[in-house]
Amino acid sequence: MLQQGNRKTKRNARLLTISKFGTLIGMAIMILSFSIAVPAIFPTFRNMVNVANQATLSAIISGGLTVALIIGEMDLSIANVASFAGVLVTGLMVQSRWPVGLAIAAVVLVSAAIGIANGLIITKLKVNSVVATLGTGSIVVGLNYAYAQGVPIASGLPESFKQLAFGKVLGVPNNIAIMIVVLFVLWVFINHTEWGVQLRATGGNPSAARLSGIRVDRIKILGMSIASICASVTGILLASLIGSGTSAAADGYLMPAFAAVFLGSATLRDGDFHIVGTLVGVFFIGIGFNGLAIFGVPTFVQYFFRGGILVLAVGLSSVARSLATK
Amino acid sequence: MDTAGRTAGGPLLRISGLCKSFGGVQALRNVDLEVYPGEVHGLIGSNGAGKSTLIKILSGDIARDAGEIFLEGEPIAIHRPQDAYRLGFSFIHQELNLIPKFSIIENLTLGQKKASRLGFIDWKAVKREAKGAVERIGLSYPMDTPVEELSVADRWLVSIAHALMRRIKLISMDEPTASLSSEESERLFKVVRELTAEGVSVLYVSHRLDEILALCDGISVFKDGSCTLTTDTRDATRQSLVEAIVGGKTAESELRLLSDVDERPIVLETKDLNKGGKVVDVSLVLHGGEVLGLGGLVGSGRTELANLLFGIERPDSGRILLDGEVYEPKDSTEAMKRGVGLVPEERRSQGLILKDSVEFNLNLANLKAIRLAKLLFLMSGRASARLARSVIDRLVIKTPSIKTPVVSLSGGNQQKVVIGKWLSRKLKVFILDEPSRGVDVGARAEIHAKIRELAGEGTGIIVISSDNEELPRVCDTVVVMSEGRIVGTLRGAEITKEAILYKSFEHAAP
Repeated sequence: MLQQGNRKTKRNARLLTISKFGTLIGMAIMILSFSIAVPAIFPTFRNMVNVANQATLSAIISGGLTVALIIGEMDLSIANVASFAGVLVTGLMVQSRWPVGLAIAAVVLVSAAIGIANGLIITKLKVNSVVATLGTGSIVVGLNYAYAQGVPIASGLPESFKQLAFGKVLGVPNNIAIMIVVLFVLWVFINHTEWGVQLRATGGNPSAARLSGIRVDRIKILGMSIASICASVTGILLASLIGSGTSAAADGYLMPAFAAVFLGSATLRDGDFHIVGTLVGVFFIGIGFNGLAIFGVPTFVQYFFRGGILVLAVGLSSVARSLATK
Repeated sequence: MDTAGRTAGGPLLRISGLCKSFGGVQALRNVDLEVYPGEVHGLIGSNGAGKSTLIKILSGDIARDAGEIFLEGEPIAIHRPQDAYRLGFSFIHQELNLIPKFSIIENLTLGQKKASRLGFIDWKAVKREAKGAVERIGLSYPMDTPVEELSVADRWLVSIAHALMRRIKLISMDEPTASLSSEESERLFKVVRELTAEGVSVLYVSHRLDEILALCDGISVFKDGSCTLTTDTRDATRQSLVEAIVGGKTAESELRLLSDVDERPIVLETKDLNKGGKVVDVSLVLHGGEVLGLGGLVGSGRTELANLLFGIERPDSGRILLDGEVYEPKDSTEAMKRGVGLVPEERRSQGLILKDSVEFNLNLANLKAIRLAKLLFLMSGRASARLARSVIDRLVIKTPSIKTPVVSLSGGNQQKVVIGKWLSRKLKVFILDEPSRGVDVGARAEIHAKIRELAGEGTGIIVISSDNEELPRVCDTVVVMSEGRIVGTLRGAEITKEAILYKSFEHAAP
């Protein structure tokens, strides 16, 4: 069988290599061309910090989405959860005068509850996750408006909350440090814990996982709540960064997150969703957006880039997967 | 029936030298067959003997490798299902091609292309025809009754009526009575006889020898891709048919019975288990160290029984005792905790996470064993590799490394991975559903040896197999199921493939 399909296997292997390193090569090309096109602004230290800052928030929400995709589900509510988290955390601190730590803990818990609800709807009501999270996402927007009536909560934020994003630990900006911690925890969780194995098994083949004694429903609920919790962390950091809780602040994170995770899944591995890949995907997209903005391309081109990258990323990911299993 | 029809005039359908192979497996070899106008021709044989391949060639679903097919003396080519349709062939499969939500008339008119002058469908003519077809088969429901409200028997009649919507010469029916009661079957037979009286020929596939003997004019028996017997029903007996299915008398199987099986402790006992008509009043006893085979035909309720024992489904009624204690697993996780393991029927879709590594799959059912520390959820990479390697050694799994994705292993080695998943756990009861399906001869023998070895360690083992040569080889006891019930129990030297087959074809007493 192996000898028979040798030539085909070889070609597949070559294609697989291209897709594995394609994202990295593409990123290098992109950095090079932006550096040549706008040498005064793009390849500067300030701009790099800017890109990294932008990428941290995206990386955390994308890390959570990675977990949802590993279990084989979509989560379209993450950006709405992130926006709501920003509004809720500022509201609790400003209007209810809760201490910073307590407010943050409460918001993370609320987001976990939203994730659990997503999981329950998917597993118990057997609603397709796209539809389920489309619905819960809208409900979360409703909660957001019910809580703050769409009015930004800006004045009266405690200084320590603002420091959350702007402060530094050991010379590293806080939000970068938080991103590193979150992604590292996710990485360990997925690759080196029992739950991680169960997550991957559930996504890989739910019926085989069930027959191996894995409680697939619980694992899915767990995965969905991790996605929501990560989204809330992004929302909280964003509120700290922009200094207000704004009702639609994080809504724009949805599409780039999907693009980043899918792009990452074709990177280094054969279409498997994984954290390192997601990080590469996030930077690819972050650099792209940044470079295009500096280059001053018209708005429509930026939309082309967003949409094109998403379709390309998902395409790459599924091609990689089908090549790997051939 | 009109057996004279077999000799008067030429055959309607003549098949000569038909061959077909899939990969290296010869599914049909040099098959000759004749079907006369107005004849009911029975096709029988074990699962995988070649009956369905023959029918799929006639229906244009697959292409033949060699051989010729003549219709009324003319050679014909069937490349696509449309060709078979045009020739006047009709095929009714076990899973009926009806749309449940559609009414009888809607189902009957599906795919009709009676265009009137303007290119529109002439609904009046179509309906008139549908009425005619329904009257021919004696269906008495209003035409707008949704098909989902009909019984399985009536759905069969609707399917036949659908075939009658055009002029057909040959109709093939695949196990029409599999889920019918005896009265319902009688009604179907009446329709079949009326059809043949009008000159339509029927290819009739069934496992039920009694009804084959009662209904058919001619019978062809398939074994391993060859048509081993073609006979007039007048000259056939139940005995001769079974012998043809099995392939003559074979040597006695070796004696396997543990002499002390009854003195050993009972590990598993079921009492009057019932589940949705698929498992009916099943009571059985499994001793520690015993290998108990579940024989019978596909669909006889064996897999459903395994599902009950492994907590995948819950029984409607009845009790299960494990080690003398009440055992009501609410899911497979609980079944595992109680010491029950299952190797599922479908290796690729139920047993493995194909894209993941051998190590990943082997350790999936025993994650607690590879913890870094007892109360820590972190896993130890070294413990994981060690556990995987030990199973690989025990089962002699041929894999380049423990990190190799299972998808790239051979079928036999994949199956060993599925079995190996359970070897690192202490099992009281181990259920293997079709453990050697799609596995080469060498790996098969190894799997059989491993089953005996596990039993030797005191595990009670249940082996489900439709391969009647497998059970005599490994089992101490064989329980044969038919239509959800236990129809026979064989012990030791009684376990032969003939005996299993005889029992399999037995009708369960209602």
